[in-house]
Amino acid sequence: MSDVILQSIVKRYDATTAVDNVSLTIRQGELVALLGPSGCGKTTTLRMVGGFIPVTEGRILVGGRDLTALPPNKRNMGFGFQNYALFPHMSVGENVAFGLQMRKLPKADIAAKVKTALDRVKLSHLADRLPKQLSGGQQQRVALARALVIEPDVLLLDEPLSNLDAQLRNEMKLEIRNIQQQLGITTIFVTHDQDEALSVADRVVLMRAGRIEQMGAPDDLFERPASHFVAEFMGVTNLLAGTLESVGRFRLKSGEVVAVPVAGLSGDLALALRPERVILDGTDEALLANTLSAEVEFATYRGLVIDYRVRLPSGVTLIARRPSPAVGGPAPLSPGRAVRVSWQPEAGTLVPV
Amino acid sequence: MSGSAMSTATTSPGGATAPPLNLPAPGARERRRLSPAFGLAAPGTLFVVLALMGPLALMFRYSLNRFVPGQMMVEAVTLANYQKFFADSYYQEVLATTLWVSALSTLLCLLAGFPVAYFLVRQASDKWKGRLLLLVILPLLMGNAVRTAAWMVILGDKGLFNAFVGAVGLLPVKLMYTPTAVVIGLVSVLLPFMIVTLQSVIEGIDANLEAAASSLGASHLTTLWRVVLPLALPGILAGTMLCFILCMNAYATPVLIGGPSFQMMAPAVYQQVAKAMNWPFGAALAFVLMAVTLVLTTTANILVQRRYRRWSE
Repeated sequence: MSDVILQSIVKRYDATTAVDNVSLTIRQGELVALLGPSGCGKTTTLRMVGGFIPVTEGRILVGGRDLTALPPNKRNMGFGFQNYALFPHMSVGENVAFGLQMRKLPKADIAAKVKTALDRVKLSHLADRLPKQLSGGQQQRVALARALVIEPDVLLLDEPLSNLDAQLRNEMKLEIRNIQQQLGITTIFVTHDQDEALSVADRVVLMRAGRIEQMGAPDDLFERPASHFVAEFMGVTNLLAGTLESVGRFRLKSGEVVAVPVAGLSGDLALALRPERVILDGTDEALLANTLSAEVEFATYRGLVIDYRVRLPSGVTLIARRPSPAVGGPAPLSPGRAVRVSWQPEAGTLVPV
Repeated sequence: MSGSAMSTATTSPGGATAPPLNLPAPGARERRRLSPAFGLAAPGTLFVVLALMGPLALMFRYSLNRFVPGQMMVEAVTLANYQKFFADSYYQEVLATTLWVSALSTLLCLLAGFPVAYFLVRQASDKWKGRLLLLVILPLLMGNAVRTAAWMVILGDKGLFNAFVGAVGLLPVKLMYTPTAVVIGLVSVLLPFMIVTLQSVIEGIDANLEAAASSLGASHLTTLWRVVLPLALPGILAGTMLCFILCMNAYATPVLIGGPSFQMMAPAVYQQVAKAMNWPFGAALAFVLMAVTLVLTTTANILVQRRYRRWSE
């Protein structure tokens, strides 16, 4: 019904290309997260879908209709802004009613729809307040109600959670996902936070320098990163450069040879290894395939976990993460201590550099 | 946005209870913090009091004196000068002219200035914004009289404008020494003030608000009317008052372009003081002008503030 299709979208400013040939199909009811570091083109892409930035090349189709040349007010899309962009001179109720007034609905219908929309975000009791009298979370919910009350074909959210504190962010994340699924509305959600993208989206599109680097289900990106960049962005702190010596044998640049899963790759590669999978002083037989001696360089206490930076004799450093004593983890290791570093071969993933 | 600061201060996320407003309490600490600022403000304040209030008080005293031809000013306490103003329809007409010329010029400044200011803020690139703004301010670098003299060259019976009109094959238009010419001259003097004032206020309006209105289905015109104009109201008020006050007190333009038969208040004051040597009546005229200007601008201020205060503070 309302599939959103981006066909080879390009956005060029004078000399720079902000978005470089992005093609993407978002199915009806799907929530897709556009993820990436700042400047990767994710917000520009979203704004082009919303009609705020003209497209240099390519087409945008919604439900088979070409919207590329239409202004925002003819696109029927709900847009959630990073700073909410509530009209400061209108009450909460007036803010939500604005889009319905533009559609010239009868007054009674508007009142009823505004009530429903505010009920949905649990704010009907604040309808007469001005935006500045609300907390950040409440403002965000008003913005959501305002965007949804017009029954848009597509919901576009630009970093909707970045201005909220951590606790509220979690709450809003669930609320947005909840409402999105209730209404079954096709949604594009822009964020720079991988955790946010993973937990809220059906599909994650990771962008880099204006291009799509990898897209797929959250677990695809998290567990099977297709590149060095994706692995790094997904929180893999250990990326060891090297080359395949033979099937399942990987030689690090620093000289060590370690066992890796079989992969159909060649050339310059990197072994991506999550710090949680790096075990210090392990005793399990299965670990013996990859066991190296090392020295603890320093420890970072992070509450639930302690991150240890360990240095191999060749000079390569790895991060190993262990539960802290607070959650029943082993006693902390002090810097300078000699340790055995090991990991199961299948814990690592090879990615092209 | 202030929202992030608020979220930490307010109550339960459900917000069943009214969240307290995060206004600074007028506590003792605030008051103590005031004193260095006051110290810094004192020299300027003192200067304003001495340089502005002093002459003003003196002029007010003059306006209560009596004018005796031959003796000039005679010490007295009389309202005769004010009575003369209200008894003489000539001076009331001068005031009326001043009012409508000022109102019209201000309105034209607003109508011409708003689109320019809006364009400067929203459309011009950073590189061009500075240059265009400089261009807007450029006329202010020229003396008032010089600029007005240029208008005389353009608007005169055999001036540039009529030369152009004649070249096109139309009959020449009488512009010089007409109210139309004065309004043109005043608008050209005051437009930069209006544009700069509006520009700074429009600059403060989040462009996302316009994007939001647009995504909700509003056309450009509706967005302008329902979002930009209400939010620009303080700037519109400030620019309008500035222009109106400058118009009411305009001297060079009405004298040079309006000619001898066209009278506005400021030249009339000068006429009384410098030509007729009637200081008491000149002073009274000045005070009538000031009072009328003050009442009108204050009323406008109150009316606009009443609408605006609800969400501005």
